Amino acid sequence: MTDRGYRRLGWLWLAALALCALWLGWMLRQGLPADTDLTALLPADRQAPLVEKADRELGRGFENRFLLLLGDDERVPTTQALGRSLQRLVDEGQLAGVDWRELDLADADPHGWMGQWRYRLLTPQWQQAIDTDGGSTLVEPALRRLFSPTARPEPVADPFGLLDAWLSRLPRSPIGAADGLLTLDAEGRQWSVLIGELKGSPYDLPMQNALHSALERFQQQHPDAELLRSGLVFHAAAGARQAKREMSTIGAASLLGVLLVIGFVFRSPRVLLQLMVPLLAGSLFALTLTLGIFGRLHLLTLAFGASLIGIAVDYVLHLQCDRVIDGRQFRLRRLMPSLTLGLISSVIAYVAQALTPMPGLRQMAAFAAFGLIGAWLTVVLWLPRFTLHASPFTARLATRWWRLCQPRWRLSPWLALAGALVLATFCGLRLTSDDSLELLNPSPAALMQDEQRVQQLLDRDTGSRYFLVRAADTQSLLTRLDMLDGSLDRAIADGLQVEYQSLAGSVPTMAEQQANLARVRKLYGAPLDALVERAGLPATVADEARARLQQAPPLTLAEWLETPLGSLQQRLWLGKTDDGGVAATVVISGARDARTDATLSTLADSLPKVEYSDRVSRIGGLLGELRRHTALWVAAAMALMTLALLWRYRGRAWRVVVPPFGATLIVLTAFAVGGVPLNIFNQLGLLLILGIGLDAGIFNVEHARKPAAWLAITLSTLTSLLAFGMLAFSATPALHYLGLTCLIGLASVWALVPWVRPEAGHSTPRRESEHV
Amino acid sequence: MPFRRWWITLLLLVPLSAQAFDLDDLQRQLAATPSLAGSFEQQRELADLDSSLSSQGTFLFERGKRVVWQLEQPVEERIELTPQAITDGSGENAPPGGEQVAQLFLQLLEGDWQALESRFTLALSGDRDDWQVALTPKEAALRERIAEIHLRGSDTIDHLDMRTPDGDRLKVRLFDQHPLNDS
Repeated sequence: MTDRGYRRLGWLWLAALALCALWLGWMLRQGLPADTDLTALLPADRQAPLVEKADRELGRGFENRFLLLLGDDERVPTTQALGRSLQRLVDEGQLAGVDWRELDLADADPHGWMGQWRYRLLTPQWQQAIDTDGGSTLVEPALRRLFSPTARPEPVADPFGLLDAWLSRLPRSPIGAADGLLTLDAEGRQWSVLIGELKGSPYDLPMQNALHSALERFQQQHPDAELLRSGLVFHAAAGARQAKREMSTIGAASLLGVLLVIGFVFRSPRVLLQLMVPLLAGSLFALTLTLGIFGRLHLLTLAFGASLIGIAVDYVLHLQCDRVIDGRQFRLRRLMPSLTLGLISSVIAYVAQALTPMPGLRQMAAFAAFGLIGAWLTVVLWLPRFTLHASPFTARLATRWWRLCQPRWRLSPWLALAGALVLATFCGLRLTSDDSLELLNPSPAALMQDEQRVQQLLDRDTGSRYFLVRAADTQSLLTRLDMLDGSLDRAIADGLQVEYQSLAGSVPTMAEQQANLARVRKLYGAPLDALVERAGLPATVADEARARLQQAPPLTLAEWLETPLGSLQQRLWLGKTDDGGVAATVVISGARDARTDATLSTLADSLPKVEYSDRVSRIGGLLGELRRHTALWVAAAMALMTLALLWRYRGRAWRVVVPPFGATLIVLTAFAVGGVPLNIFNQLGLLLILGIGLDAGIFNVEHARKPAAWLAITLSTLTSLLAFGMLAFSATPALHYLGLTCLIGLASVWALVPWVRPEAGHSTPRRESEHV
Repeated sequence: MPFRRWWITLLLLVPLSAQAFDLDDLQRQLAATPSLAGSFEQQRELADLDSSLSSQGTFLFERGKRVVWQLEQPVEERIELTPQAITDGSGENAPPGGEQVAQLFLQLLEGDWQALESRFTLALSGDRDDWQVALTPKEAALRERIAEIHLRGSDTIDHLDMRTPDGDRLKVRLFDQHPLNDS
């Protein structure tokens, strides 16, 4: 290629990048369209928008509110101190509100707004009593109620106390009142309950800080008080604090390490800047094209795709080492075959991934492939044009380092194969996997314990297990819910240790409401006359009571959800579905074990349009599916790479594949020995190892006699080790596993390279030998 | 000590004429008979009803423990109130919302001013032989249910009169009260 042609290509690429920047800017004008749901990574026919919606609805309370349980010997003053300090946060505008005093419960009297519907709402016991003998057995209890000093009799509106009977059946909050405080009696102890309402997002940093320091201050002043926290805001705050902490320790150490290493070797700050240019260009190119193609971006794609672009650092380092050491004799052409092969082999691996049916992996593959291509083009077209300060120290260092790392003996292909087989067998026997939800959960153990205790003390469901029920319209939905409730009741009678919350328990179907009204009319016959007479009330009272039945409107689901009691069940209602029907959930709490789960699943299968969903195991399943797909893809990528390399290197191909494949096996063996289970995150780390290991293998064979290549390989593994391997010290499980993989894998790549280096005199590509 | 502060507040609230006899004295006076038994007459006047619901029976009161309300006319029923729960003759718990009413009832019979003071403004008048305490709810939420409560008595509480904002009225007369020794 002529020099002019080369320059023109360079400008063309710059123009392309500028276009990318413009396009990206236009696409991001309304923020990054990012997905966070794991299911968004799945094929469209496997996604369940309704399940997602159910999860969101059921999680809302956890998101927008927080709950504190306070146990202390001096409960009253301690709670008042905490309540007042939280109230200050409300006054400062950080929180929307906080309830902790008895009166905050402000139990708006259900008699006021439920009254009009009472004639159509009957408990099963009352239905039975009226069906058996017209309800004459209900007279005596009603009479006792009328004269009880603590009851609130309504001889005209409700002489029998229909509403009280109905209300007593609805689930009641375990939170009561004592000593003027919201109180929970549990485990033989009185806990004060403080409920905070957030103003905005639980991720709002100033609010998190204010809340955190208020609670810290409280605990310092009351070291003996036991304070349990529950709510997303605490987990979010812990995550933010941890990220900040790790950014200033791990992140700073990584950055400092890379700066020191590059600065030491090249003695020029410019090299550092030039290291960043291709990475930034690659990221820009990848982000633009991936967004352009997919329309949206998953956050996981962004995180891992960006780290995979880290492989591109290889290209930069090889080029720069060559330039610095060869000086004026540097020719890009000599490096091109290895650079190109490095790119092609990595891109092949990603294209293989792009063929999987998982849109999430496809996105990630596209992102990484575009990123590498972008970075590669920048390295090839622009980097040689930047001036470089070549310190003679670098060349001296390269030669010295090269001599220092001459191995005593070299690996033979058969020994390598035997070793690989032994390691692979061992891995096959010992390696375990883990797809649990905890991998995604960065919360500290203490906070998780708090959370569990609160749920346990409050006997509250976490909304993670539910039945999803669908129907064409509200009435058929209520009928179906009623059938499900019936099945659940029977299963519970048979010993199933669960409780459930269902809308059908609060809103009977129209048909049943009609039947109930007919029953009440029956009850308002002779039994009512008897009641009025025995209470010593004038007979007109009975007539007035009967007159009330003329106006007995039915209770609709919509009306129920509008009431204060119904709003507590709002989360169970999913509303209209895409297919024009409606849907609701029935939330399960109580025993959590395999047998219970199996019973609930069978129960769901026996009813049409009812499905059972366990969020914890569902997400675990998703992670497992992603993991198995990546594993397959890693294997396929390895096979494809080997084919491509065989085509070019034939008998020497094994020398190229030993660093990447050997490192992969060593990582897996280390996990097998250490009992570290395999998960999606350390597998994604393996991809990075493969890419960097392969580049190292290629350059090692192509430039076998060049100290510059060995220096570049050393630098590239060392910087990647600093950038990714350090993540092994992160407390976030996902990052920890990615980092651990990189730490072991990159060190192995580096250690393996010298042992498979072709010996002197061995046929290396001709152009190379004349320069050594 | 928050309790002491309460007392100071209370002392300031007490009308000048009752300086010699305050709620503290009254509580001590009532506490002198830890347990007693007697009869009651209860009359409930309902605003939307021309006549009233009258009942009578006996009661048993063990301070700090429980009140047993034994209805005899027009229906037989035994109601037991403890600080934790109300139970009726069949051993069932009271209807929802009744609990708070029961707690209040218990606090009134005991003259537990400390507990009552958190929700009501208290005003004491009269002397130790014929005193009256008027209670008015502090918070709007409670004012929707209770307009005013009057207690009257001497060594024991003799009259309880509760009015609701919608015009209902509960009048309880306690009589033939005699202390119990074996408690």
